[in-house]
Amino acid sequence: MCGHCFIVPRDVLERLSRNDSLSATVRKGMARTAKLDIELRRLRAQNHRLTRLGMRLAPVPAPAAAPPVPQVLVADCQHGTTLPGVPVPAPGKSSDATARTVFDETTALARFYAKAFGRNSIDGAGMTLASSIHYGVDYNNAFWNGVQMTYGDGDGRIFLDFSRGNDVIGHEITHGVTQHTIQLGYTNEAGGLNESLSDVFGSMFRQWQAGQDVTGADWLIGKDIMGPEATARGFTCLRDMADPAAGHCLAPQITHISQFKKGMDPHHSSGVPNLAFTTAAKALGGKSWERLGQVWYRAMTGYRPSPNMKMAAFAERTRKAGATLYPGDAAVAGALDQGWRKVGL
Amino acid sequence: MTDDGEGASGGRIDVERIGGLAGFGGPGARIRSRGTLPLSALSRADRATLDRLLGQAGPAPPMPDEFLYRITRQVGARVLSVEVAESEVPAVLRACVRDELL
Repeated sequence: MCGHCFIVPRDVLERLSRNDSLSATVRKGMARTAKLDIELRRLRAQNHRLTRLGMRLAPVPAPAAAPPVPQVLVADCQHGTTLPGVPVPAPGKSSDATARTVFDETTALARFYAKAFGRNSIDGAGMTLASSIHYGVDYNNAFWNGVQMTYGDGDGRIFLDFSRGNDVIGHEITHGVTQHTIQLGYTNEAGGLNESLSDVFGSMFRQWQAGQDVTGADWLIGKDIMGPEATARGFTCLRDMADPAAGHCLAPQITHISQFKKGMDPHHSSGVPNLAFTTAAKALGGKSWERLGQVWYRAMTGYRPSPNMKMAAFAERTRKAGATLYPGDAAVAGALDQGWRKVGL
Repeated sequence: MTDDGEGASGGRIDVERIGGLAGFGGPGARIRSRGTLPLSALSRADRATLDRLLGQAGPAPPMPDEFLYRITRQVGARVLSVEVAESEVPAVLRACVRDELL
């Protein structure tokens, strides 16, 4: 699945495939390999299109009242970058703490989606949740590649093991849910919304596990993966959903739609919907996933895919979803209004 | 590298890793990841890959939270730059960056 799994670059293969000094069999093999490389690079984009087509042709059936928890798999990259890596047998009982954590937290997240939103896994139909751990060497990142989650160990100085953050795990898996529902792109305003949905559901998962209401929540993203050098410098998180531009964030964000610029990194522009959600959640009170989370979930999953959605349209969609889910509830409508007005929407 | 920052073959590659879950290198970000290599440090195959990347018209956007690499090749006054997803970048260029707090 990874694009750099070919040792010989495509153009070298193509050149060799035309080299008359090589046998016809070898030349044919080179041409086949070069072609395979091209196709693998296209695979990721195709996967997105396939998801969309599959949903159009065979919509996911409405889930049962209490969907089962899907199968959870963990593989070990053993510090290489070939995905998925070597399967970890019985990861919940592994001697590898990272494998256990990823298995436990992924299972818990599946329960969160099932109990709080009636969702059965990423695709709503019980998709196996696959994760790879120990990706690369001192790798300071975690990502969703279209079919699975991947976690680096961190370098131990700026970042710790990325799987230590239950919000990080929630963030990555939610990218999968987004891919299978609203299908937001990853550039411009849609990209910012995509990132924000992952922060919002990652944070709600963290609050759900801790049994916190909106006043007890810290609204920080990445608090548990900050390494000693970062904390010594006063950085407490990657992002603060309640105060996106704060100095204690490693990557401060914009806080108003007027600050948005085309081409902006989604992790920077997601500050706008993050702040809208947090402001609305605080205005509404209680537990974030109980009412406001339901509105956000409906906005994410209850409409046609919207790959190029703008933030104003998403705001309008949440207002519509709020009115549908909680008709006549002035508190919900007021909280949504307060949240979106704060960011200029 | 020579004193003017260029390798024996008269070229230099600047690499910046951006994005990712942590938003490396964004406006106002307090974390960045950069590195430099002389062009001569690249194997023939990696140079060919670099040529292809720099010639790409519209590279595919990254997957969610995947790093992007901003690669700039400077040979004399000629500067070429491109942003590509991590999965496209040769290992030698991926390995040349160092993460740092600002």
